[in-house]
Amino acid sequence: MKTVYWTEWARGPNLPRSGKTVLLTARMYQMLPYIMQVTGLIASAKPFVSRSGFGAMVNLGNRIMGDKIIRLKSLGSKNIRSKSKKILLGITNALSTIGQRPAYLYEDEPYSGVLLYDLGLDEYIEEHIVKVYRLLKRHNVKKVIGVDPHTVFMLKEIYPRYIEDYDIEVKHYLEILSENDEALKKSCKKSLENEFVIHDSCYMTRELGIIEQARSISASLGITILEPGNTKLDTACCGGPIEYAFRDLTEKVSTTRIQELANISKNIIVECPICLINLSKYEKEMGIKVWDMGELLLEAF
Amino acid sequence: MGVDQGQAIRETLLKEIGKCRACRFCVDVCPAYQAAEWVENMSPYGRLQILKYLINGTLNKDDPLVYSLYTCLQCGRCNRVCQAKGQDLEVSNLVRLGKYLLSQGLVKGKKSEKV
Repeated sequence: MKTVYWTEWARGPNLPRSGKTVLLTARMYQMLPYIMQVTGLIASAKPFVSRSGFGAMVNLGNRIMGDKIIRLKSLGSKNIRSKSKKILLGITNALSTIGQRPAYLYEDEPYSGVLLYDLGLDEYIEEHIVKVYRLLKRHNVKKVIGVDPHTVFMLKEIYPRYIEDYDIEVKHYLEILSENDEALKKSCKKSLENEFVIHDSCYMTRELGIIEQARSISASLGITILEPGNTKLDTACCGGPIEYAFRDLTEKVSTTRIQELANISKNIIVECPICLINLSKYEKEMGIKVWDMGELLLEAF
Repeated sequence: MGVDQGQAIRETLLKEIGKCRACRFCVDVCPAYQAAEWVENMSPYGRLQILKYLINGTLNKDDPLVYSLYTCLQCGRCNRVCQAKGQDLEVSNLVRLGKYLLSQGLVKGKKSEKV
């Protein structure tokens, strides 16, 4: 297997390389160490960019060394790297418990293009979507199991707008697991009897309508879910989507949200990589623990 | 973006923004507006007004105000409130379309040009 950063986690589960159903991580969890470094570098460079002459220097520096610096610095983000692996392993273990063993595209696995969509760069989205769709068809993919709400939203809601006769079924893994609640309950090796407050993702609830699934799966694992004031369809944003450009604003948004959650429980469940990275940065400072649903699944199975 | 497509988006945006009754329910629920300590151009209603003035030429692409469009988190809380209390506008998608119009200039490096 050719090793690229997004396939490291897949050595253990040894998923088949081809099949009609594929698990599409879209590299989202695997990219977290790099996202942390990129947003950090942008924030450090921002005060200089507006000064006359510095903008061009920063741009040149980025072209020459940017990629190398980000890759090197991200090697130090061991915690988030190991967390990402655990999450993806937890998801595959849980799927395997209910008899689902999807294929994985390994080094061919594409990114969904959701950032282009968020930024309104539609002319680039079309090109990207066509490329990804052709790749999926080349691998004879009929069904995609997504692990994050942004990718599922793109493949389910946006891709069909650009592809005539779009014929790929798209589901989030929480939907699949919740359809097999009873099997999950029976196979649960370790009951996680604890109270957790849940942070719903904006895309998961308001765009995809996936709300009760995380709750029913949590109940199968023995977890008691506590609801914050802003929850389900009225959930509050973690601040993540604008971190690349407005770090101060993002921090204010995420601080407000984490305080609301931490007032209810020190154990917080999230179900999205962007929420995970934005809320888990307060773990030390506030004495809390932010768990992705995938990590809990790894504990249970 | 072809001329026709750009014109179609401008018309769609003006038509949709015209439906806004300025009830401002979307303003209070916007996390970016709350974090920006009540600066209205960083609220859904404010962004729609900026878009309107950008399209009719009162604002230019390089006006700092237009960057407020990029403070939208695309979280969709405004859509939900508008659906329940207002005119059922897809506010966050209108803002996204506005970013699309803007990106044509930003990506190609045009400045001081009317959208």
